[in-house]
Amino acid sequence: MIFVVSAVVMMSATTPFLWGLRIAITMVPIALLIVEKQYASALRFLVLYLAALGLTFYYLTAQATGFLTAFLVGYCSIVAQFMPAMITAWYVVRTTKIDEFISAMQKMHVPDGITISLAVVMRFFPTIKEEYASIRDAMKMRGVMLGGGSAVKMVEYRMIPLLFSCVNIGDELSAAAITRGLGGKVKRTSIEQLKMQALDYVFIFVFTAAAVIFVASKYMK
Amino acid sequence: MKFRGVVEEKKVNKKLEAKDFITVGLFTALLFVVEFACGILGFIHPYIVASYVVMIPLVGAIPMMLFYTKIDKFGMISIMSVLLAIIMFVTGMGYLGAPLIIAAGVIADFVAKSGDYKDFKKIAISYGIFCLWICANYFPVIVSAKSYRQDLLDGGYTAEYCDSLFRAINSKTIAVLLVLCLLFGFLGAFLGKAVVRKHFEKAGIA
Amino acid sequence: MMKNIIEIKNVRFHYKGAKESLQNVSLYIKEGETLLLCGASGSGKTSVLRLINGLIPNYYQGELTGEVMVAGRDISKTPLYELAGVVGTVFQNPRSQFFSVDTDGEIVFGPENVGLEPEEIKRRKELIINEMGIDKLMERSLFELSGGEKQQIACASVAALLPGIILLDEPSSNLDRDAIEKLHDIILKWKKQGKTIIISEHRLWYLKDLFDRVIYMDKGRIKKQWSKEEFLKLDTATIENLKLRPLEVPSYFSVLFNERSSEKETSESGMSNSILLQDFFFSYRSSPYLFRKRHFAESDGDRLELCIPELKLPKGKVIGIVGKNGTGKSTFLRCLCGLEKDCRGIIETDGKVYRGNARIGLSYMVMQDVNHQLFTDSVESEVLLSMSDKDEIRCHEILKNLGLIEYKDTHPMALSGGQKQRVAIASAIAAGAEILLFDEPTSGLDFDHMMKVGLLLKGLAQSGKTVLVSTHDPELIEKCCDYELYIKNGRVESFGGIAEKILKRNEIKESV
Repeated sequence: MIFVVSAVVMMSATTPFLWGLRIAITMVPIALLIVEKQYASALRFLVLYLAALGLTFYYLTAQATGFLTAFLVGYCSIVAQFMPAMITAWYVVRTTKIDEFISAMQKMHVPDGITISLAVVMRFFPTIKEEYASIRDAMKMRGVMLGGGSAVKMVEYRMIPLLFSCVNIGDELSAAAITRGLGGKVKRTSIEQLKMQALDYVFIFVFTAAAVIFVASKYMK
Repeated sequence: MKFRGVVEEKKVNKKLEAKDFITVGLFTALLFVVEFACGILGFIHPYIVASYVVMIPLVGAIPMMLFYTKIDKFGMISIMSVLLAIIMFVTGMGYLGAPLIIAAGVIADFVAKSGDYKDFKKIAISYGIFCLWICANYFPVIVSAKSYRQDLLDGGYTAEYCDSLFRAINSKTIAVLLVLCLLFGFLGAFLGKAVVRKHFEKAGIA
Repeated sequence: MMKNIIEIKNVRFHYKGAKESLQNVSLYIKEGETLLLCGASGSGKTSVLRLINGLIPNYYQGELTGEVMVAGRDISKTPLYELAGVVGTVFQNPRSQFFSVDTDGEIVFGPENVGLEPEEIKRRKELIINEMGIDKLMERSLFELSGGEKQQIACASVAALLPGIILLDEPSSNLDRDAIEKLHDIILKWKKQGKTIIISEHRLWYLKDLFDRVIYMDKGRIKKQWSKEEFLKLDTATIENLKLRPLEVPSYFSVLFNERSSEKETSESGMSNSILLQDFFFSYRSSPYLFRKRHFAESDGDRLELCIPELKLPKGKVIGIVGKNGTGKSTFLRCLCGLEKDCRGIIETDGKVYRGNARIGLSYMVMQDVNHQLFTDSVESEVLLSMSDKDEIRCHEILKNLGLIEYKDTHPMALSGGQKQRVAIASAIAAGAEILLFDEPTSGLDFDHMMKVGLLLKGLAQSGKTVLVSTHDPELIEKCCDYELYIKNGRVESFGGIAEKILKRNEIKESV
């Protein structure tokens, strides 16, 4: 069950880990990406992660101070810190089908309302990205990227067209979904028969183990 | 003439429908994008992390006020808060804040409901309460301040970053932050309302 | 005599807070019939479809009187999800009718909602994929598909519920010629399966062999009805009087679109004053591992998605850009107005050379979805936003010329599609743009509005602007363009005056 795995991955990845362990854990989603043939994103993440990691180590040992270095280190460590979670989130979004997701949620007995809404959230991220890209193009052509120097205008010019088109799309989307039977009284079925496979158990085991080791080592100190 | 009765009956129906779930999903996505955009600024300096309480309520008010015009049933804000809790968890903000997010959402829902989702004063208060969810992001900092600090140091943050982070966010300031959230949420509601009136009502879609 | 599967009796309807949109509509449709709804935008075609699929009154609320029976059910008393297996609807906008993010999930979405057994759903999915020949589109992200491919998936996901009645609401609006032909084949298949089909559409040419009956709507009423034979006999003048698009499209375009005219020709006659474009190279596929794209040159050869080393465009003319979807029309426009920074093209006009960001001020693109380029709360401020000197008198003059002055305080989003387009044009003129680019401005417009856009483009050209318009509407090119630029695989395939082409077509006709 992909979803459970990713939840576990994320939980463990976000809890701070011993360095070695953390790096190892981070490699897992990257490996997963490679398995799923998302080479380009895997490589990009890997490079970014290693760079951040390298910089952090370098500056940490140098005990650097000063605003700029603090800024740099802060930035890198955030990358190092959140990268695993981000990669995993990225992995989940790229590889989990909404359909699988819905049926996983149903298995976990999450109410339909939440499942549907969450599926819509996932569907809307790429849409918002698309819409926002063309709004930015339009702003570029008009030369209002910086909103004439006013922060309020900057936000307004981006938000307003985005809201208008998203609300329209949402409206058309619900009409289309409803005519295809969404919201009926019958229980939804799913062709995705999600079953826990051996691999999933292995993942869960590895991550729980990692979490246990981490917690243990922390409190032993 | 024949069906007028049926149509009115529909309006009374307060059960959430597929359409409402889609609306909730849409606005949650929008709100999260706003939150994320502001969140990125937090990478620059820890003090900006603290200023989330000002930025997010103000900017987020625009989609939220539009959202409020679409609500007429109980549960929509609650669901939104559950979604936000899940997303926060998934994106690595931890699970400590989840109860606060959901509690804020449910209370906000009740407050707005008492005004029948029309009364603007109630909506403003409701939005202010809803904004408390932002504070959930700070929860790991406060609840486990000591170990979190150690974690951060282990995690490669400099002592300097931590110090300024904790100067900005600790159990004393959290009260201030909560109040700020509420306050700016309230202010944001007015700002958002103004924007909704300026654009969406004028264009006839709200 | 087959029985009526759809009965609409004396229906009146108006949307909440709007004026009456259907007046006393009665319509009886037999099982297996294919019906074409035509008429201007806003004539009530969509509302009729919504009556049948139950969105009126169950989703769009308003006041409804009369009776609508579909397959023996009283629509207003039937919850929408019960109609899912009875009536299927393909909507106009391919972007907004998806629930899933992947193609497989979208096709099974309907059957899953109705709670079919997984085995049955799989069987149906296979069936539909084979029937439509869309196995190549499977396991893809919907966001990567072209408009035509999206529309195919939309048809498939509707068909997966095996409805007896299928409604199509202007399905070809965003499609190119090839995609329209695919759509035609799908509808033909449905017709052969004996499904009842109702199509609301402005483009009539591809439906000639499909419909059995034509309904003409005007201002919320059914004005006229024809049988297939009667309708095909109508002459061009009558059709034009009804403000419908023609049944036949100019033949030289079919030659062009079928890619048979392989002769490379660029004529530069009559170009005393011209704009010179140089070095327009671009590709979206730059190597993904690098953070920075390198600059493109002609030597990149086949890798380039846009390759125009040099092109002369006549000034003050309307130039139609034709070619299939995904062939580089939009890329060309985007590069021309400077949106793609990595395209290093140079524009030379009046002895001045524009490169890089300077191109942004020189040209302005009216996007296909104008909603994205309207930012402010009134038409007037929208135009003033583009003016650095905020000259109100000039602003009013521009608005007057475009017939927008009476709307100057209206919110741009409250306007109709055509008016929004004009607001975008107004702000382009206000910004002092010399080259105006239009990305498919007439898709989804009825004949009347299309002609209005055409006249507007001509007017802009007469006032000295150079107008480039990408389009799939041959009617528009014939009626208002001076030149035609045919782009294929990002290369200029042919460029020449329309008048000469029409002459040539007539020669071909005579010789045949």
